Amino acid sequence: MNHRAVPIERGETRLAWLLVAPAVAVILLVSLVPIAVTAWEALHAHDLRLPWLGRPFIGAGNFMEAASDPRFGAALVHTVAFALISVPLELMLGLALAVMMHSAVRGRAFIRVSALLPWAIPTVVAALLWRFMFEAQTGILAASFQTFGLVGPAFDWFVHPLAAWVPIIAADVWKTTPFVAILLLAGLQTIDPALGEAARIDGASPAREFLTITLPLLAPALVVAAAFRMLDALRLFDLAYVITGGGPGTATEPLSLYAFIALMQRLRFGYGSALSVIVFLLTFAFALVWVRALGRSLSGARS
Amino acid sequence: MRRVLRLGLLVVAGYALACGPTDTTTRLTFSGSALGPEGAVIRQQLARFAEHRPGVRVELQVTPDSADQRHQLYVQWLNAHAPAPDVLQLDVIWMSEFAAAGWILPLDAFAPGVDDFLPAALAAARWKGALYAMPWFVDVGLLYWRTDLLDRAPRSLAELREMALRLRETDATRFGLVWPGARYEGLVTVFLEHLAAFGAGILDARGRVIVDDPAAIRALAFMVNALNVDRIVPSSALTWQEEQVRFAFQNGEAGFMRNWPYAWTLLQDESRSRVARRFAVAPFPAGEGGRPAAALGGAQLAINAWSAHPTLAFELVAFLTAPEQMVERGRLAAQLPPRRSLYENPELAAALPIPLDQVRQVLEAAVPRPATPVYSEMSEILQVRIHRALTGQQPPAAALQEAAREMRALLMRAGLSAEGPT
Repeated sequence: MNHRAVPIERGETRLAWLLVAPAVAVILLVSLVPIAVTAWEALHAHDLRLPWLGRPFIGAGNFMEAASDPRFGAALVHTVAFALISVPLELMLGLALAVMMHSAVRGRAFIRVSALLPWAIPTVVAALLWRFMFEAQTGILAASFQTFGLVGPAFDWFVHPLAAWVPIIAADVWKTTPFVAILLLAGLQTIDPALGEAARIDGASPAREFLTITLPLLAPALVVAAAFRMLDALRLFDLAYVITGGGPGTATEPLSLYAFIALMQRLRFGYGSALSVIVFLLTFAFALVWVRALGRSLSGARS
Repeated sequence: MRRVLRLGLLVVAGYALACGPTDTTTRLTFSGSALGPEGAVIRQQLARFAEHRPGVRVELQVTPDSADQRHQLYVQWLNAHAPAPDVLQLDVIWMSEFAAAGWILPLDAFAPGVDDFLPAALAAARWKGALYAMPWFVDVGLLYWRTDLLDRAPRSLAELREMALRLRETDATRFGLVWPGARYEGLVTVFLEHLAAFGAGILDARGRVIVDDPAAIRALAFMVNALNVDRIVPSSALTWQEEQVRFAFQNGEAGFMRNWPYAWTLLQDESRSRVARRFAVAPFPAGEGGRPAAALGGAQLAINAWSAHPTLAFELVAFLTAPEQMVERGRLAAQLPPRRSLYENPELAAALPIPLDQVRQVLEAAVPRPATPVYSEMSEILQVRIHRALTGQQPPAAALQEAAREMRALLMRAGLSAEGPT
């Protein structure tokens, strides 16, 4: 704040710095140092399995390799496409769920708890459930789709490069829609009911009321929910790892999974680190842009 | 602060005192599979080894049972020049990598007797002509076939295809043939058998990539046809590993199955299996211009290059790979010994669940996977490309040409020039 104002406050400022120093040190140690080390590693050719090559500094070599690596390009496309498909779905369904929860007269607590259940289930467990449901021959969903003639009798979801995305997106939407709904419900509850009442007295239809009053006032909450979801979706790992393992081929492999394979399976520490740095930069860039947009929309809502 | 320091010193001193007397004994550590019957055999044998060597203590260092995790741990230890474990159980496909990195000792100086070992198993233990490990037990790909539906094992790939087609078309079985087709190492072993059946391979003797040769493309095209044209292999097999494949065969759904020896005992269990006593095994049959094939797996024993007691470590390796220990391992863990002479041994015939004559026939067809330090990465390239071809994302020729290009780039990057090992 205005710590330059009065001399007496200078001592207090120093004390304040002293008090936050441990926290700053911890953040440096557990967050910034590892990120810096990873970034430094990303500038080296370091393959644990090829010790005779040593660990030479190669500058942007790993990043150049990523740029010309078709598997990396595909993974990037997969990640962005996944985020752009699943997040809007979650926002729409979450909004519908929030409105329902908001207008429920009876059994509010029950509805909220049951809506939140998917969110409470660990991701890996949820992923396994969805995997089982889509498994050919034994999966309940796979069998239902066959009975209704939506897919052929021998159709296997995990063998088709596009169909394999369906269980991943379904699992993500199922699991995170409640989270979006709760965020939006909180937003709905801050809207003054008098506004809606006034609109109704003026003869506005429910649709008009929703579009011109509820939605604009809910915008800040929507922006926050979208930011959280996008950041998560861009780091997609566990659902793909458990449900498809990135297959068939590498048709459902997101960036984080490819980085994991490069690091932990191929033990290519340099290249894997470069991929991790790219994932980090991608989410970071998105966060920066979004926070700016968010700040603008929030101030816009206030004025 | 000072008090903490003093306490720490006390603890250290106490520890040193406690360990003092045992320091005169030599400690040897062994790392390998320590679960179930395998764990029981190794504990028993390590104890027997130490019995006659006063002052020697052998410890079993437990490592994860998953091959990938154990590999990762080994790489981290050996990269850090850790002196323990002294003796390591290696999967056959890791040997070249560890030998090239200088992490394991060449064993020729110990003058081990190797004449008795199966040539394919021995070849998989050599890197650039030197012996780096001792074959310990072997695993081979087996073609299981139904004796109640067929008179004999197929003699050629064309016959296998016809038999499988007939079984499926007459509804004798739901699927003709099942093999593990998920994107993992198991898929590469199936592909390797198809390659050998067509007279093709992954690397030639000089280490050059030949997986884009016309014969190799024919092999992959055969697999694609089996899935999409003949439909003798179900498309779900592209998500299956060994166990799902076994379930299909065990439930009587398939006429043929490609699997490993472990499935034999489970399939004979009448309480769970519908095919008990109604199957036999054979090598994967030869196609045009090829030979019958069985992918070789299994484990070897190697010595840590930073071991403090290499001579003693070799004694342990020699002891564990001696015929008596191998027969015992066959009896208790049903693992096949890599010593040829044992296959004439009635004791082994009594100990193993699979009839020896059938096993011997398959072992003669054993094909090792390529010996290259970058095998795991090469295998991963192949897994992705083969899986793409099998799931119709790429034609076989394009998939293998891409795979070969990536493999050549990998060899170049690793300094293992495509013109043979440097």
